Amino acid sequence: MKNTISLALLQLAFSFTFLPVSQNLALELQGPGANLIETTCKGTPFYNLCVSTLRSDPRSSSADLLGLAHIVADKLKAKTTATLGQITGLLKGAKDPKLRMALRDCFDYYNAIIKYDIPVTIDAVAKGNPKFGVQGATDAANEADACERRFKNQPKFPISSSNKVVHDLSAVVASIVQLLL
Amino acid sequence: MADRNPFLPVSSSDGFNPTGTQVNRRKLIKQLLTIFVGLLAVGLFAALLIGNNGSDNAHVNENEHGSLASSTSKKPESLRPVSRGPAAGVSEKSNRPFANVDGNLPWNNSMLSWQRTAFHFQPEKNWMNDPNGPLFYKGWYHFFYQYNPNAAVWGDIVWGHAVSKDLIHWLHLPLAMVADQWYDKNGVWTGSATILPDGKVVMLYTGSTAEAVQVQNLAYPADHSDPLLVHWVKYHGNPVLVPPPGIDEKDFRDPTTAWLTSEGKWRITIGSKINKTGIALVYDTKDFINYEQLDGVLHAVPGTGMWECVDFFPVSKTEENGLDTSVNGPGVKHVVKVSLDDDRHDYYAVGTYHEKNSTWIPDQHEIDVGIGIRYDYGIYYAAKTFYDQNKNRRVLWGWIGESDSEAADKQKGWASVQSIPRTILFDKKTGTHLVQWPVEEIDSLRLNSNEFNQVTIQAGSVVPLDIGPATQLDIIAKFEIDKEALEKTTGSNLTFSCSTSGGAAERGALGPFGLLVLADESLSEQTPVYFHIAKGSDGNLKTFFCNDQSRSSEASEVNKQIYGSIIPVLKGENLSLRILVDHSIIESFAQGGRTVITSRVYPTKAIYGAAKVFLFNNATDASVTASLKIWQMNSAFIRPYPNDKKS
Repeated sequence: MKNTISLALLQLAFSFTFLPVSQNLALELQGPGANLIETTCKGTPFYNLCVSTLRSDPRSSSADLLGLAHIVADKLKAKTTATLGQITGLLKGAKDPKLRMALRDCFDYYNAIIKYDIPVTIDAVAKGNPKFGVQGATDAANEADACERRFKNQPKFPISSSNKVVHDLSAVVASIVQLLL
Repeated sequence: MADRNPFLPVSSSDGFNPTGTQVNRRKLIKQLLTIFVGLLAVGLFAALLIGNNGSDNAHVNENEHGSLASSTSKKPESLRPVSRGPAAGVSEKSNRPFANVDGNLPWNNSMLSWQRTAFHFQPEKNWMNDPNGPLFYKGWYHFFYQYNPNAAVWGDIVWGHAVSKDLIHWLHLPLAMVADQWYDKNGVWTGSATILPDGKVVMLYTGSTAEAVQVQNLAYPADHSDPLLVHWVKYHGNPVLVPPPGIDEKDFRDPTTAWLTSEGKWRITIGSKINKTGIALVYDTKDFINYEQLDGVLHAVPGTGMWECVDFFPVSKTEENGLDTSVNGPGVKHVVKVSLDDDRHDYYAVGTYHEKNSTWIPDQHEIDVGIGIRYDYGIYYAAKTFYDQNKNRRVLWGWIGESDSEAADKQKGWASVQSIPRTILFDKKTGTHLVQWPVEEIDSLRLNSNEFNQVTIQAGSVVPLDIGPATQLDIIAKFEIDKEALEKTTGSNLTFSCSTSGGAAERGALGPFGLLVLADESLSEQTPVYFHIAKGSDGNLKTFFCNDQSRSSEASEVNKQIYGSIIPVLKGENLSLRILVDHSIIESFAQGGRTVITSRVYPTKAIYGAAKVFLFNNATDASVTASLKIWQMNSAFIRPYPNDKKS
């Protein structure tokens, strides 16, 4: 019996060493801020993306709902800017006129996200008129969708995964801001 | 035995043999413990590896009221419900799959510039939203509005200003108020005007302070003898109201026009919320500077969320004129209207105002404000009325946003229009509704007309109407459905709703039928505005009024929803329709304005000379007879005031 118990305890200790590492999991998170992150992200269409985005920013542990929205919006801005850079780079090397047209359209859509959607969203949330924030973030997701549609008849969609992240992050922002209404 | 492993599931299936020997039990426990703990470790390990690959629900959160929050691309666009009945008339075949084959950006300058309206109020460029402080003063109608002087999206909000002699021909004036004080640094937001007995004007408006707290401020004309009211002064002691205890500093905005109480005080209401219950706070004042908050609220409705742009006004039960906001008494009902932040729609309800304790009770709780009737079943928000003492009527303004993408707004350099101002009257026939009708002054824009009498439209057919240009129109139509068919058709239990239906292409026994506007010759683009009659299994008829955007444009990045609602049709009433077509906006009024739908339409082909109008009847069992008159509409030539009075 003693052996069994020691064995069991040993195996449990082994299991528990993995728990701190598994913070990215949709399991019980630790700390007071974690609860807000969990409940907030549950209301978004991309729970894991929401949680990992917030967790990767140290501000999230002490942020309120407004702060969480801001954090994801910042991440969205960074990702959109990076993807816009990708598009610009691709445009430089693209020769096919149809590909160039598609890339140029995506450039316009991404420009709209960075220049309008994200600033409006952050502004609206900060000033206490969140419905315009929902509108802005939703439009950002729609712009990403529009970009994807431009590549429907292209053999490849070179920024596919980045575009999806931009879309999904926008949707997360929209959901969080919706909670502020 | 004591549970030394509290993390294991307390299971009854551990095969515990109560009659076994102690040795056997120990062996069994040892085995099971090993297995369970081992599984736990493996499980954690596996979860760690799999965990980061989300199997999330991949779609943008759809707002169930189908507001801008819905992502149009997620609907499989080539899917249409297959309906019974021969394919004819407005055929489902004419629904080509969207998105140009090459994936080109559909907006060229020609299409975008066509979108600008000819006779709806809009500033020369940039973004506009809520109507503010409308009033009539010294011979001029004044209109103020939320405006962004810097971009075609919301932000940097200030008060724009325009004047008109007739609510139709507007002249732009300089900005009335800008964000130059700490108490409105983050936004000069919505407010309302009150005209005092001596004729002077006071304006109450919400400021978003430098700390983003919502407060109420007082402003008044710098020069009361200036009929144009160009310059405004903000009261030096602003703010006059700050969020009261228990109210969040971001849930306190949009003060109403004040009304007099029997004690001679002025009373206003301001929308807010407590958790998810929308409420209207009440304040009394003698001087618009010092206020006393009343106990309780004017009204509250759980689950409706934040109440924006609350409006509160009397209507006559019997007379065909408007009432000053302070009027009360027998023969008078009061309307509470709210703009719901949660779904971006405007709702109203008719009820009774009890002045003593300043409460209002709806006539019918099932259609209480926020859960019942809407001003407009399309894109329409932040509406506000004012009493027009010039013509003894109550006039309604409503903000019409865009339903295209912000990238397109950026490209065209503007966003939003206002509805044509509407008169509001109590609908005596239903007792529950208000009727809205474009102000009569709009008739002054009518040019030549075409009349069509008793045109019979067979089941499943489309009738082109040869009227020349079809982008600026005033259409008045009456429809009569074949009575025999009405009686003969078998009813069914199926419930119908405009928004979940297949639009005008989905054929029913007694509908849809109506008009196709902004349609091109081949009907590859079309916007149906129509009635649909549904017969229940009990023989009762229900009439629906819808506006179908699903094929309004070949562009993908526009709203493609079907707007609409059930509409009460009384015995003996013919079906009647008025449609104002003004480029990218369509305002449709059914049954004299009992139900209204406004939509924004952005065709790529059905523009300029290529836009046409058709009658259609896509019912399977009934023919329809229509009589209509269609006027060409002139532009209102909205432009800056000629002798530009700058400071």
